[in-house]
Formats: sequence, C-alpha cells, structure tokens
Amino acid sequence: MAMLNEYSGRNLPDYEFEAVKKVHFSPYADNGGSVIALAGDDFCIIAGDTRLSSGFSIYTREQQKLFPLSNTTVLGCSGCWCDTLTLTRILSARMQMYKHEHHKEMSTPAAAQMLSTMLYYKRFFPYYVSNMLAGLDENGKGCVYSYDPIGHCERSNYRAGGSAGALLQPLLDNQVGYKNQEGVDPTPLSQERALSIIKDVFISAAERDIYTGDGISIKIITKDGVKNESFSLRKD
Amino acid sequence: MFLTRSEYDRGVNTFSPEGRLFQVEYAIEAIKLGSTAIGIATSEGVILAVEKRITSPLMEPTTVEKIVEVDKHIGCAVSGLMADSRTMIDRARVECQNHWFIYNEKMTVESAAQAVSNLAIQFGDSDDDGSAMSRPFGVAILFAGIDEKGPQLFHMDPSGTFVQFDAKAIGSGSEGAQQSLQEVYHKSMTLKEATTSALTILKQVMEEKLNETNIEVMTMTPGAFFHMFSKAELQKIVENLPNAREEAPKPRSDSGATPSIKPAAISSG
Repeated sequence: MAMLNEYSGRNLPDYEFEAVKKVHFSPYADNGGSVIALAGDDFCIIAGDTRLSSGFSIYTREQQKLFPLSNTTVLGCSGCWCDTLTLTRILSARMQMYKHEHHKEMSTPAAAQMLSTMLYYKRFFPYYVSNMLAGLDENGKGCVYSYDPIGHCERSNYRAGGSAGALLQPLLDNQVGYKNQEGVDPTPLSQERALSIIKDVFISAAERDIYTGDGISIKIITKDGVKNESFSLRKD
Repeated sequence: MFLTRSEYDRGVNTFSPEGRLFQVEYAIEAIKLGSTAIGIATSEGVILAVEKRITSPLMEPTTVEKIVEVDKHIGCAVSGLMADSRTMIDRARVECQNHWFIYNEKMTVESAAQAVSNLAIQFGDSDDDGSAMSRPFGVAILFAGIDEKGPQLFHMDPSGTFVQFDAKAIGSGSEGAQQSLQEVYHKSMTLKEATTSALTILKQVMEEKLNETNIEVMTMTPGAFFHMFSKAELQKIVENLPNAREEAPKPRSDSGATPSIKPAAISSG
C-alpha cells in the first residue's frame, strides 16, 4: 500500500479494494444411467444399465443400480452416484428399523411413501437421484413408483427414468401402454413380453445415449421372491 | 448406611433392595381408584364400555370423556388420572398421524400401544430443559382397534407394560369384572353379545345405578370403525339389559367355567 502511494503521483485511498470473487460450489455429479420398471398383474420387472460414467469417461461397466429393499420391493437409482449410495443405505436402515418396530415387513406402497417423505425432507439440498421403486402391493399386484429428486411420487404400470428416460418412455408408451396405435386390443402384459420389451428398448437407448450401455441387470419380482437376469449392451 | 423403605419410596427410578420400584407400584394402585372400564374383542369387532362418575347433579356429564378416538381405526378407554390420560392420548394421536404421513398406511394397534408405552416410561428422565417428568402416569389404557390382524384389544398399565387381551377390565371394579369376563367370554362371541355382557358386568360393579348418562360405549368394527353410542342408542341397550342379579350372563356349557362364581359388587372410591 505504501509503495503504491509512493509510486503514483495520485492520492490513492489507504485501503485495499476487495475484488469481486466468484465462488463455485458444485456438490453434484451426473453419473448417468437409466432404469426401467414394468408392472404386470402378478409380477414386476425392474431393469437398470450397468454403466457408471462422468462426462466422456466411464468409471465402470459393471455397476449395479438396483437395490433390493425387501422380498417384494426393489429400488432402481440413477443420477449422482454418491447421493444414491447414501440414500439407499438410509433406506435399508429405515426398512430394518420398521421391521423391528412394527414386527412386519414394510409393504411396497409404504416404502414408496417413506421414500417420498425422505426426499422431501431434503427439499432445499436434494439427493440428485432419479428413483424408481418396483414391487408387489398388498394384493400381490405389480406396482411401479417413480419420483423426481424432491419427492414427487407417482404410481404407474410402466416407467423409464434416468439419462435415457426421455428416449425410453415414448417407446414404452407405445409398446406397453398401446398409445398412438389404432385398432389394437390391449392385452395384459406377460412376463416374457415385458422382458423382451425391456431388452429391445435398452438396445435402442444405448445407440443414442452415451451414458447408457455396457449391459443391463434385471430383477423379476414375483410372490416367490426376486429373480436376477442380465443382458449385454454395446460397450462403446 | 441404613435406608428405611420410605427412602426408596421417593425416587421414581431407585430400586428398593428387593428390586422393586415403589412409585410405579403405587401408580398401578392408583388405577384401582379410577372408574371401571371394560373391553371385549370379538371376531366382529371390539367393544369398550366405561362408567362415568357423576359426582354432582350440577355436573355436565358429556364433558367427562373416558372413551376417545385416537385414529379412525383405534379407540381408547382410560381409567385413572384423567389429566395424565390427555397427554398419553395426545401422543397416541400424534404417532398415528405421523405413521400415516410417513408410510401412508394405518398404524397397527400394537404399534400405537408401543408408542404410548415409550412415553409412559419416560418418568424420571430429564429432557433438554433439564426438567423431568416427576412421576409415572397414573393411567391405565385399553386400546381397541382394527388393523390387518383384525379386531384387537390391548391393555397398558402405568409401568408402560402392554399386553393383548380377549377381554379386560380396568379401574375400581376391575377385579370382579375380570372374573365375570372370564366366565362369560368365548371365542365365537358376537359383538351384540359382547355389548350386552360388558354392560351387564358394568352394571354389577358400578356403585351408582347404570343409566344412559353415566356410561360411555364405543364399538370398533371393520365397517364403521370408531362408533360412539348416542344417548338414544345407549337408552335402548340399557332398557334391554337383563336384571343384574337373577340374569347374569351365563357361560356357555362348553366353556367349562363354573357358573356358581358370581362377582361380588366391588366397593371402592
């Protein structure tokens, strides 16, 4: 300061100007990934791709994004992977606590409501996760619940979410919901057809979305439990 | 140092050398001064019946509330210190609503009892302000409700212990009433039978003459859930009650109970 004053002929004020500083805080990462869930009369199928990426790089080609919460409930997550890890650990803990407190397994609709409230409690610093809850309801019917990051919850029979959600959903609308078709008679979704639709739409999505690919893991939920399957996708 | 029994009487959380908590035991005794309440669980639903002590003709009987709705599917009958019961009922209501909010489902009757039990055993604990609940609650509660397991009746005492019952009586007339319930109860009881039995037994153990103003009756059924009997409904039932002495409800021949044991009217404050 003293030097400045000596150097210039002008009279500069005897204090430093605080320069305008821009502070960046980016707590979120987008690690991509897509999840699909289809509900039938007595089953529910949920599938998620296994690619975990960031920008143009792939962290791993074999990351499971489906989390079994009980014998009748599976959660699928995509988005910020670190948020997914925390959210799913809290969820399993809450499921365990419920089991001990109420001496029964939490039903899928109850887990769906709990997830909604948990997400909304972080309304102003949300988990950056696209959630999809699949399972069987109290009557053994398949159900799918989809969420936005702050807890909006909707029950449906088929839903796609994650990085390729916008690519997958219209295809499901057409093939599962029989939308925009003339003269079709809507037949109830069979397990085999659900499985082949899931494989087909994921193959299509992997062609266009760089955050979806490598493979898919599939969980088939029936009254007899959860059955695992997997399927390969293009790896580029 | 030699400690007399009276010194263990004071601390609510101090065990006596024999391993007893006197204040809790005294609180359980306090229930036996309260008005009688009877609950019977049948396969058709649960019925609660209580006596209301109308101590003055100038008193407004409807303001004595001993049966309350906790949620649509859970009702409670209380006996003991009414002021204490308000706090516990309030907790039960909050817990039921909270459960609905988080899980979008009805709280089970057992879970509701557990939630109130958690409050009941907080005596002696100090909270954030450093203040403590100085004594146990002087209240016994009958929880009558319907959940996925069907109609259920739970009883809770001031120690926070809760147990499921088919039929249970609390309050001053509980000893005689419990005896009568044991004789009368059978698994295939209809709700109507249970209502008549509950009121007949209540009539026997009440000091005052039972009428439509000094009792409260509630039924909990899968169809209508919490239903508090109106004065007109009560009047109809009271009129049709068998006369206490000669026509006490007879046990079924297959129940194996001896019908000779007639409950003696319990006298108490």
